[in-house]
Amino acid sequence: MQLKRRHSLKKGVSIRNALTTATCTLLGGGASAQASATEVATPWEFDSALLYYSETDRVTAIEPVIKMRKELNDNEFINFRIVVDSLTGSSASGAVPMPFAQTFTQPSGNKTYTTNANETPLDPSFKDTRVALNAEWEKPLSRTLKSNLGANISKEYDYTSLGASASFSQDVNARNTTLTGGISLSYDIIEPVGGVPLGLTEMPDFADGEKILEDSDDTKTVVDLLFGVTQVINRKTLMQLNYTYGSSRGYLTDPYKILSIIDDTVGANFGEIINQGANDGASYRYEARPDSRAGQSLYWKVVHQFEEDVINASYRYYWDDWGISSHTIDMRYRYQIGGGHYLQPHLRYYVQSEADFYTPYLLDSNNTTVKEASSDYRLGDMTTTTIGLLYGVALTASSEFTFRGELMTQSGDEPSKFGALSNQTLFPDVDAIIVQIGYSFQF
Amino acid sequence: MAISPHPINDYLMGTFQAMAGPCEVLMDTLDQQLAKQVLRIAQQEALRIERKFSRYRMDNIIHTINHSAGKPVAVDTETADLLDYADCCFQLSNGLFDITSGVLRQVWHFDGSNNVPDTRQVNALRQKLGWQKVRWQRPWLSLRPGMEVDFGGIAKEYAVDKTVQLINDNVNVNCLVNFGGDIAVTGSRSHGLPWVIGVENPNQQTPLSLQAPGIKLQSGAIATSGDSRRYLLKDGIRYSHVLNPKTGWPVSNGPRSITVAANSCTEAGMLSTMALLQGKDAEKFLNDQTLNYWCEW
Amino acid sequence: MTTMITTLCFSAIITLATGCSVQTVQPWERDILAQKKMQLNPAPLETYLDEHIYYSKEASSGGSGVGGGGCGCN
Repeated sequence: MQLKRRHSLKKGVSIRNALTTATCTLLGGGASAQASATEVATPWEFDSALLYYSETDRVTAIEPVIKMRKELNDNEFINFRIVVDSLTGSSASGAVPMPFAQTFTQPSGNKTYTTNANETPLDPSFKDTRVALNAEWEKPLSRTLKSNLGANISKEYDYTSLGASASFSQDVNARNTTLTGGISLSYDIIEPVGGVPLGLTEMPDFADGEKILEDSDDTKTVVDLLFGVTQVINRKTLMQLNYTYGSSRGYLTDPYKILSIIDDTVGANFGEIINQGANDGASYRYEARPDSRAGQSLYWKVVHQFEEDVINASYRYYWDDWGISSHTIDMRYRYQIGGGHYLQPHLRYYVQSEADFYTPYLLDSNNTTVKEASSDYRLGDMTTTTIGLLYGVALTASSEFTFRGELMTQSGDEPSKFGALSNQTLFPDVDAIIVQIGYSFQF
Repeated sequence: MAISPHPINDYLMGTFQAMAGPCEVLMDTLDQQLAKQVLRIAQQEALRIERKFSRYRMDNIIHTINHSAGKPVAVDTETADLLDYADCCFQLSNGLFDITSGVLRQVWHFDGSNNVPDTRQVNALRQKLGWQKVRWQRPWLSLRPGMEVDFGGIAKEYAVDKTVQLINDNVNVNCLVNFGGDIAVTGSRSHGLPWVIGVENPNQQTPLSLQAPGIKLQSGAIATSGDSRRYLLKDGIRYSHVLNPKTGWPVSNGPRSITVAANSCTEAGMLSTMALLQGKDAEKFLNDQTLNYWCEW
Repeated sequence: MTTMITTLCFSAIITLATGCSVQTVQPWERDILAQKKMQLNPAPLETYLDEHIYYSKEASSGGSGVGGGGCGCN
């Protein structure tokens, strides 16, 4: 019987076509409208954080930020970010401390402040609130090509920044390699209090003299290019290598920063010594930086998972035509405690070499011949060390709480000193604490 | 019956119980809301088909048919479509696939024991068996008293196909629907790569004919018939749970299980069932059909 | 001097990036890489805030991406 059946099947043509037809009839005609066809909207993902940053005796910043993200279509996302950044406190003016008190005219020109003897001059009028908005649109162009378009605006009372960016990522090699190319442009408008001082002109005395202005405002444009490769190394390791090129043009100077003019022999500022006499020589000059800057960086990152823990480490080498080069090492180790809790120590080390035009002060002998000069410590030989710890806990599958505390120290070598400068600290350490709480959830 | 999609690899998986076993849906998305929506569709459809065609319920069309005591029963369109299909499969398989063969379960209990019925018991039941004895004139179905129909050999695969259709009709996400090993996909994964399916292979010496680690499914479906855990063992003879409706006895010397890939899960399931009923000629049958299959002997 | 440092760093990075053996990871083997904590930037807000701090306190910036917006803090 079985034999007969087999033969009948064998000599009869394949039943496949007949069966396919029958199946199509069954599935094709049937009742296919049973589903609850309600389109459920995808949720908004919220990511929020509150940052508290405070430098000893200097600036304090409170910075709430909210990021919203939503999937519009398959792998198409829209992101919005809102940041409010409120700053209070004092900022180093760039003048050096002296064994006597120094009086400075505030940028507005209608007020003065006085720095005690042997103290680093800090401008106390440093108050600002910044609001920044960012929108990004991620859209897949094909199964392996993704685009990301962004726009941002940032507004402070003396500064406006408008920016746009575009980047494209192409997956190749079975999605094991991703090539990224990106460009960003920004156009910034600077409207300093009291106008834009002409570089290296005198800071006027409060009693007499006018600030010599270049204009009431100025602009700068920035173009950044990025080329990157992301490579899956193995099941537990991911690497990224980026090259960036950035070019800035326009007003790159800090309109509020000044330099002390130091007598070549006395080692002291003219303010107290000469001003009292007949010679009304300059005491402080506004800084002046070049009007263009081209910087490049190589950035390498690795993410590796051990059993449960994850290390996220990066190294950046940066160099530019201002003579600055820097190395940055950043390392985060995520230690899973269990039950959704984790601790994440963070170490960051940064070292930079000074800009060609960096000088802690101007000597009287050449203060009228230099074309560019800044005593902004952020352009000097300097290191930044940050150590921190973050605690995070997953509250539900889609919400997480984090808390971190970090200590940051910036320090640099003391420059050569003489005369009245000898007992002054020209490069005091800047210590800051960083505290941040974060909460992410879906809505 | 918790449905909570959880992330596996870079997709989400949701599971629920239906059709007498675990059901799962893999969704090529990390969007939890979307995943829940897909899962709801799948679960609703699986439960609907289970309710409608389970022979263990007292409130459905199968119960009405099986308790009609010889009177004609008018059936709804979906049931009629399935009966047409069963009829067609009966013809195509020369009577080997028969939805009335369920009565044999009254004497065959494949529980791993040595409880093999005697010939007399089996022959008595053969009177109540045979699709050719049924009068089927759409939408009217008349069974002889004592006969039963059972969509057990079709319903699960049919549910997989209907679920895939519903997902395709209602949401835009690539899914793999797996109801107890019967699997269909809505399409390839979003990066164009196939779904990879590991096939349970209790007989470790027999490698799968496709390269490791599993079957790659870009479109369509696979279904598996045969179950090495359901058998009887007496006097050294292993009785598979696949019964030949013509003899009332298990098919002998056939593969333990057959997995077939086809355009739809229903078709794949039918081909693997029919192949299993061929016994030792299973592979010959499969070769005649020009399809991808995996036999485990 | 700078050029030499540049060249050294460049070659070091290239060696690091390519010197280790790269294994092709198939889509179904991405269970680990797909986790949030294994993303290149698992905590974007933290990164954003850090970059903002260091942008206003140091002379170098960028490297990890483009965009984000400028401020008058430097």
